[in-house]
Formats: sequence, structure tokens, C-alpha cells
Amino acid sequence: MHSYVRPNQFVAFKLPSDQTRIQKIVPNTQVFLGKYGTFPANQIIGRPFYLTFDIHETPGEPDSTHLRIVSAAELHAEHLIAEGEGDGDDQEPSDEASTMRTNRDTIDDRSTQKLTIEEIEALKKESTGAGKEIIAKLLESHSAIDQKTAFSLAKYKLRKERKYMKRFTIIPLDVSYLTNYMLQDKEAARTLEMRDEALGLLGCWGNVHHGGSTSFDMETVLSKPNGRYLVVDDTGGLVVAAMAERMGILYPHDGDFDDEQQDAHQKVPATAGAQAEHEEEAQPTEGGAPSRRNRRPQMSAQGNTITLLHANKQPNISLLKYFGYEADDPSDSHPLYTNFKTVSFMQLLDPNADSIYAQEPTEIPAEELSTFKSSKRSAYHRKRGRWMRVRRTVDEARAGGFDGLVIATLMDPSSVLKYTIPLLAGSAPVAIYSPNIEPLTEVMDLYSTARKTAFINRRRELVEQKATSDDSVDVKSELEEEFPLDPTLLLAPTLETSRVRVWQVLPGRSHPLMSSRGGADGFVFHGIKVVPTQEHIEAAGNPSRKKRKVARSDETPADSGEGVDVEMTV
Amino acid sequence: MASPFLTPGSHSQLNQLALLHLRRDQAIPTVLQLHDEDNAGYKEGKVTTTRFGSFPHTTLTGQPWGSQIIASKVDTGSRRGRGPQKKNRQLKRKADELTTNDSAEGANDSPSGSPQAAVAAASGFLHLVYPTPELWTMSLPHRTQVVYTPDYSYILHRLRARPGSSIIEAGAGSGSFTHAAVRAVFNGYPTTTTTDDTTPPPSSCSSTSSPPNKKRLGQVSSFEFHEQRVGKVRQELKEHGLDGLVHVTHRDVYQDGFLVGDAETGTSPKANAVFLDLPAPWLALKHLVRHPASGAESPLDPTSPVYLCTFSPCLEQVQRTVSVLRQLSWLDISMVEVNNHRIDVKREKVGLEYEKVRGAVVFPKSVDEAVAKMRHVEEHSRKYRELQQQQDEEEEDLLNSTTAANTPLPASSGPAVPAKEEQAAPPSSSSSSSSSSNIPLYKQGRLVHRTEDNLKTHTSYLVFAVLPREWTEEDEQKCRDKWPPHRVDQPMQTDKPKGRKQLKREQLQREEAEEQQQQQQKQQQQEVVAGGEKPADASEEA
Repeated sequence: MHSYVRPNQFVAFKLPSDQTRIQKIVPNTQVFLGKYGTFPANQIIGRPFYLTFDIHETPGEPDSTHLRIVSAAELHAEHLIAEGEGDGDDQEPSDEASTMRTNRDTIDDRSTQKLTIEEIEALKKESTGAGKEIIAKLLESHSAIDQKTAFSLAKYKLRKERKYMKRFTIIPLDVSYLTNYMLQDKEAARTLEMRDEALGLLGCWGNVHHGGSTSFDMETVLSKPNGRYLVVDDTGGLVVAAMAERMGILYPHDGDFDDEQQDAHQKVPATAGAQAEHEEEAQPTEGGAPSRRNRRPQMSAQGNTITLLHANKQPNISLLKYFGYEADDPSDSHPLYTNFKTVSFMQLLDPNADSIYAQEPTEIPAEELSTFKSSKRSAYHRKRGRWMRVRRTVDEARAGGFDGLVIATLMDPSSVLKYTIPLLAGSAPVAIYSPNIEPLTEVMDLYSTARKTAFINRRRELVEQKATSDDSVDVKSELEEEFPLDPTLLLAPTLETSRVRVWQVLPGRSHPLMSSRGGADGFVFHGIKVVPTQEHIEAAGNPSRKKRKVARSDETPADSGEGVDVEMTV
Repeated sequence: MASPFLTPGSHSQLNQLALLHLRRDQAIPTVLQLHDEDNAGYKEGKVTTTRFGSFPHTTLTGQPWGSQIIASKVDTGSRRGRGPQKKNRQLKRKADELTTNDSAEGANDSPSGSPQAAVAAASGFLHLVYPTPELWTMSLPHRTQVVYTPDYSYILHRLRARPGSSIIEAGAGSGSFTHAAVRAVFNGYPTTTTTDDTTPPPSSCSSTSSPPNKKRLGQVSSFEFHEQRVGKVRQELKEHGLDGLVHVTHRDVYQDGFLVGDAETGTSPKANAVFLDLPAPWLALKHLVRHPASGAESPLDPTSPVYLCTFSPCLEQVQRTVSVLRQLSWLDISMVEVNNHRIDVKREKVGLEYEKVRGAVVFPKSVDEAVAKMRHVEEHSRKYRELQQQQDEEEEDLLNSTTAANTPLPASSGPAVPAKEEQAAPPSSSSSSSSSSNIPLYKQGRLVHRTEDNLKTHTSYLVFAVLPREWTEEDEQKCRDKWPPHRVDQPMQTDKPKGRKQLKREQLQREEAEEQQQQQQKQQQQEVVAGGEKPADASEEA
């Protein structure tokens, strides 16, 4: 839970211009917000989120900067007043109409503002009231202010506030906020133009959730670890972060009771870095959390894990740094340290081609090791540890049995599915995101009913052929030649898209926003991995009746040979 | 009990909910049991009958999830005679089955021994899948309007419902949101699942009494004012193994607020997130404050911001809600609607070669094909005319030569010749059809996509808002003591966690930078005579 600003945490600052700035809050430093001001970080550490502050300072006096919390009533003041007035207006609509101001007589140029640029600049220098004085002056010196309608006046004031108010809101940097930040303030292409709504769908259709604490239910642990997810993520780690958030392993303080703020303060030395603080406080959320002394090695968790398959030698998970997980040098107190695993596609498909996996560092007996210099000894341990880690994660991934598959990739999804679907446990969901629809329509086509029927018929043919003829027919490879994906392994393939439309809700002025970001709509494909029986399958029902129904309901032209119920040959 | 929604394990188990997946939007939820409560009288024990055959639960239990299950031959006709008088015998038999089933787990397709065991039918099958909130939403018994996946996925994401959160849901309704919410906040089953009242986190946990490492368990507090629905939801949650994680309260929340247990003295759910699916959410908002006017405990978590979402179909409701939210100091108020649609993907087959293909349109697929076809037709009719002409001439000749009335014979055989010709050799269409027949049917045509036929254009408006945690002068003073407000050590402090290599690199960079700086300073000292002015900030003008 994001209850207060922790030292050395990344937070987002929402500025009057509606832009967002992301900064790490390091104790005893300054926070720069560009033209909106500068203030010491210590003045927001420990304070709750979602508060809005004004920056006040007396020009020329050092250490005079102080923050003032802007109350909610003040933030809503105009709307509240407008609503109060609105109630009165309702009673006398005719009266209102006669006195209603219009924009008939307004002058559309800059001459109405009597303040010169120099005067404004001078005001800015000596102003103390977080920009409010400037705005008041501007309004005062606007010659045609009384001609403005209430709406245009509000707009004018808002525009000036955005420019001159020294004000900001602290917002916890979570996945949703980061998604919007990347979409609007950064290069959206880096995250495949991922939107909140697509992330929500991915998480739900991928059934991504916490796998349960091992300490609580021993029976399930014995049979199979829960909550192991496979992910292919080319969004720089955003999808991994979203999954980790849903699984409770993204934030170092996730799931802790948050009443201990005061303790935290006592423990953290004024200049301490994140490490020290983590050491004191944090516990990986995975069940059976290791004690401080006895930390488990990296990528060693059994359940509630994310396994990332990546196309290059190193995975691109740079966005995880905003959540305290540095890809180069992960802190071992972060929950992702144990619960986040990375395996390259090459390691998955041909592990022996990978030098780390294939070459075991020769084991050195303990007596010999003790004669080594400490640096050499730690190098040995590091190498050995790395080999064991890679070995373990790769073998584990190859063994499969994953509980879900989430994909957001630049690669052809069908090529990913070919190698990942067999790694899923039965009934595990598959969810794929794509900014464009075409890669996903192709996947839909690969799982079309017609193709499934053809696949089943062809397989039957081949099996029969194998049984009758002497020469060995390799059913599998023959089938693979014609069908790159086994269409019978996925149930209920569905393609959908979501898009939210934002509204402005103000008294008497509610309407959808006039413009919003275009670009990729974002599409989500999902289905369920199933285990087809090896026996001969004949669908039930009256074929002629079904055929009619099928043709009407979803117009799937299908090759229903031998009276097989088309709809059922999934 | 573990819930199949959250920790399904690898195989289906007795007394757990399983879904029998028939087709994309149709799945039958059923609790796997060998005994039949209703005693329908099947020889095989409890049987679920679908349009794709009958499925005795013996064939469904102990199977790996996701298995394709073959229907069984079940005598549905003669069971009427079997009444309750044979119950004892049946129970005994079922008990036998239970033991054999346990011993031979996973090999139910060909059960050994028992004559009552299920016999595979010649046709029919379904897929056995574990329940998820999505599949449940699709197959649940509707009692009220359901919050569907596109909406709840977005809502829960925006509500920051995460493992360990506590979430209030008012208007449990059909329970679709309840299931999704439980999954979102779940991070372990409570150790004691005796009664509802033991599970909420300690209501007045002073920081000393709760061990700092103790995890907070996610929970859902659900309120519903319709008594019958409350009973149904409770029953369902129990069947689904979620009863320890959800506390369903029968309550009119407009009147009595959101405390779990007694309306006035109950424990606070300490909610981090609130979802109101009520006709008049603004009436409930007065209870969702830090200090309720009634003097009761606040249902909100005092240590965290609280996220709120209301779900209202009408704009008028939204306006009243937003107005009250502003008065009650909620922040970051926003309203959105979610437009979701599913997309159909199919192969569109247009062309003259698809003459006998179902679902295809027999129409020229291109101008070239149209022209070719027309040419062919033209050619054909020319030939026909020629032939006719020929015949007419012949006829004339014949008439001229003989006056016999055997005209019908050549006339009928005349057009029959070109008709045969046409079937044998329409040059363009026959060649194209032979080329397309090499392509398997599933690859023919053009891949197209479009919105599915039934489209939901409006579900509800979603209002989101945040209530920050309370912040008093006292808290502020404490923070000031901990963090000296004006202390700034070095203006440019490097980020904390860094690799050894990077530190070295930075050391080098710093040294280089210093050298450069020294050089620059020297230069500047030389230039200082010129008196460089700082450029005025021209960009920030009115």
C-alpha cells in the first residue's frame, strides 16, 4: 500500500500543466520541478500521497522555501461555488437567459491584457504566493474580463494557473500511472503503446494473481507450486511490472502493515540508501519469506513467480527500475529478486548452445578454496552461483507446467506460441497483447474452426496410414509441416479491444473530452490451453441441425467432413 | 479449503467447483460429487447432462485440468423407476466407486471392475477447466445486472486492488465482481476460517502489537441489501472455497454504513478500495469518510489513500455522485466509460471458383475475373447463336427440302451440345478452381476482421476518485523532526545502488570532468573581461 513517501523511492509529480515528472526522492537533496520551482526533498518524505502542495519562498532568503498543503476544498473551490450558484439558477431559468453573457462582443486578440511581458517577469521574481498573485494581477489587468462568460473566464483562469502556479501533486508511481506516463509524456512506442485498459484485460484474461502463501496451505504445495507465469515482454518491463503488481511482488513494501511509519523513520539513518532501509524493513512477499540472514538465492522461488522469455541475450526490463529493481544489480531484498526469472529463447530451445548453461565451472574442493584470496574465492562463488541459477531456471522453464502465459511482443506471436503453448499446464490461460490487430487476426486464423477440423482429420488420416502401412510415418512432423501450431491445444480463442472514453463532469457542462490520444487501440487475444484426448473423438448432436445453427450464429464456413459437428471439434 | 479459483492444483478434485466448457460463451459450473443430492437416480451417481452428452462425475473427478472428456453412455430413460427406496444401495455403490476412483486416479476413461462404471459414448465431449472469475462471469446464474470482464478488469486496475488490499463492494448482486475482486486481493488463505469475525485484520492494531513482518491478508467486504441474494452469494462463495476471504453482510449501506458485523460497533474493514454498484452511490458516501459524523469507526484504512469507483448507468447519477465527492474532499475525480468490443475473424471468400463452398460468395473477385467471365459468356452465346443460326439454316434447308414436322428433335438436341461444352470447358473458372483446390479450405479467401454482431455500446459510467490519508499538524511536525526541512547535503547526490564497475566508471568521469572544469575556469577567467550576460528567459511570457 502506498501510504507515504518513502526515502529513495521514485514518485511522480503532477504539475499544473498536467505533465508528469518522475523523480527519485533522495533525502537531503533538492527536487527540481523546472519552472514550477525547487524545494528540499525532506519536505515531502514521510508525507502522504495525493496531496497537493504550493511552493512558497521569499526571494533572496535562503532556506525560506516551504510547502503548503492545498486543501481539497481549495482545489474544488470553483466547482463547489459553481454548483452552489447552479442551484440558484435552476429556479429562475428565464431570468438567467436574459442576463446570459455570450461571446458576441469579445475581442479576439492580445490587446486586452494590459500587463507587459516585462511587468510579468518582474512579478514572477518578487512573487511569494506560489504564483497566485501573478494570476490575480493578470485577471485584474485584463480589460475585457467583465465581458467574458463564466465558462470562458474559468478557462482563462485555468490557462494562467497552468502557467504560473507553483504547485504540484505527489502521486505514487504505480503501474497504472507509469503506463499513462509512458503513453503521454514519453515515447509510447517503447511500451508498445500499452494502455491501462489493455493491461487490465491482459491481467484478467491471463488470470494473473497471487499464488497463495506456501505457509498457509501445505496440500497445494505438495502437489504443484501455484502461480507460475510465463511472459514474453517487449514493453521494457511494463507487462512484467503489471503482472508483479497483481502478484504482490512488485513493491518492496507490498502487503506489510503500514502502521509502522514511525518505526521506519527511527530505523533509517538520515543519509541511508535504499539498501539499508530494505535490510531493516522489507521482506519478500512470497510465502515462507526467508529470514534476513538466510536469504535465498536469486530466482529461486518455487511459486508465485514470473518467468520472462527474452529474445536477446539480456532482457530489456529497464522500467522495473522505477519500482526499485535494477536489472544490472538487483537488490536481494526486493521480492522480484527471488520471484522473477529470466530465460532467453535460445536457452529454452537449445540450452547447450548457451555458454553459461553448458559450461559448468569446475568445482573446487573446500580445502583448496580456503587457500584462495578472498576476491578469487568470491569470484568462484559468483560464477558457480550463476551457473547453478541458470541451470535451475532453464530446466524449470523447459519442464513447463506454467499457470498462465502473457505475451506482448514485437515478434510474430504464432512463433512464440509454437514454443510456449506446450509449456502450459492444462486449463492455463493465454493472453496476448498487440498494438495492431493484424498479428492477432493471424493467430485467430491459426485457431479457426476450419483449421481445427482439418487438423483433426489429417491427424486421423496419418495415424491410420501409420497403422496400415509398413513404412514409418512420423505423424508429428508431418502434421507440423502443414500446421505450425496445433490448433486443438487452445480453447475459445477470442479477440477483443477496450478503449476508455474520458468525460468532463461539471455542473451543466458534462460531455466527453473533445480530444484524446490516438495511436494504437491495443488488442487482446485470449484462450485456454487444453489437453486433447488421444482417443478418437466424435462430436455429438444432430449434424444437419447444428450446421444450420453454426452457419447462422457465427457464419463460420467450415469443412465438416463425415458429419462431425463443426462447433465441437475444438 | 483451497479455492479452485485461486489455487486449482493440477487435477480436479471432489467437492470443488469445475467448469464444463461446451463452447466459447457457454460453460456449465458444477460441483464435482459422486453422490447426487437430488438423487436423480443415475446408475453412475451424479451426472451432468449437456447438449453434447452425459457426463458422470466419476469421469470428471481426478482429471488433469483442461482435459478433453468423452461423454458416457448414461441410461437417462429408465431411471424414473429408481426412487428413493433404493437410495441405500446406491450410496453403498457410490462409496465403492469412491474408493476405486481414489486408487485409480487419472485412469477413469476405462474404469476397472465396477459394472456401474461409466461407459464411453460413441460421440460427444467437452473440456474440463478450472473456474476463473472470467469464466464464472460468463456462466453464473444472473440475479442482477452483471459487471462484465471489460469493466471489472479496468476498475480493479484503477482501484489498485492488489494482493493484501482490503476492498469494499456494495451491491454484491450476482457476484461477478466479488470473484474478480477476491482474486485481485488474494495473497493467502486465513489461517483460521471459523467465523467471519475472526478474519479481518486487528481493528485497532497499534504498531507494537502487530509484528512488523506479518503480512496483511487481502479481503473483500461485500454488502447487499437483498436478503435472498445475500444467501445465494454466501452459498456460492462457500461452494467456491472463498468464504474465508469474503465477508458478505446483509445491509442497507445508505443507512447503516460499511462496518463488518454490527452496523455501529462492528469492525472496520480498513478498506483501501471501494466499489459502489448502487443506484444512488452519493447516499453511501457519507459513511466513507475519515471521521463519520455518527461517531462510528471509519471503514477506511487510516494509513493509506483510498480509491473509489462508482458504477452508474446514467449521467444524472454521475453528476450527483461527483458533486458529493467534491464536497467530501475526494481528489483526482474522473469519469470514464469503457468501450469494449469483441472481434470476429474469418476468411471471406469471394470468387467464382467457390461455387459449392458454404459461406462463400460466388461473385467475381476482381475486374479481370469479371471481364474473363463476361468474355466467356459472350463467347458462349456467340457460339450458341452461331449454332442456332446453323440450325435455323439447316431447318430452313430441311423445311425447304422436306415438309415433315420433326423440328423438335434437332431443336432440343441443338442447345444440349453447348450446355455440355460449358460444363466441360469454361476456361477461366476451371483453371482457377483447380489452382485453389490445392490450397486447403481453411487457407482460402482473405482474412478479415470485424466487430462481433451483438455489441454492448454502454454498460455504465465509471467515476473514480481518491481520498488521501489524513494529515494533521501533529503528523507534519513529527515528519519535520525526522527530516530536517531545509537540510540539503550535496546538490548533486548520485543515485544509491550502483554496480562496482559503474562506480569506477563514474570515478573516472568525475576526474575528467574536474579537469575540464579547471580548464574551463581558466578560459572563463580570460573571458571575464567581456562580461557575459545570462540570456533572459524569453520563453515564459504572457
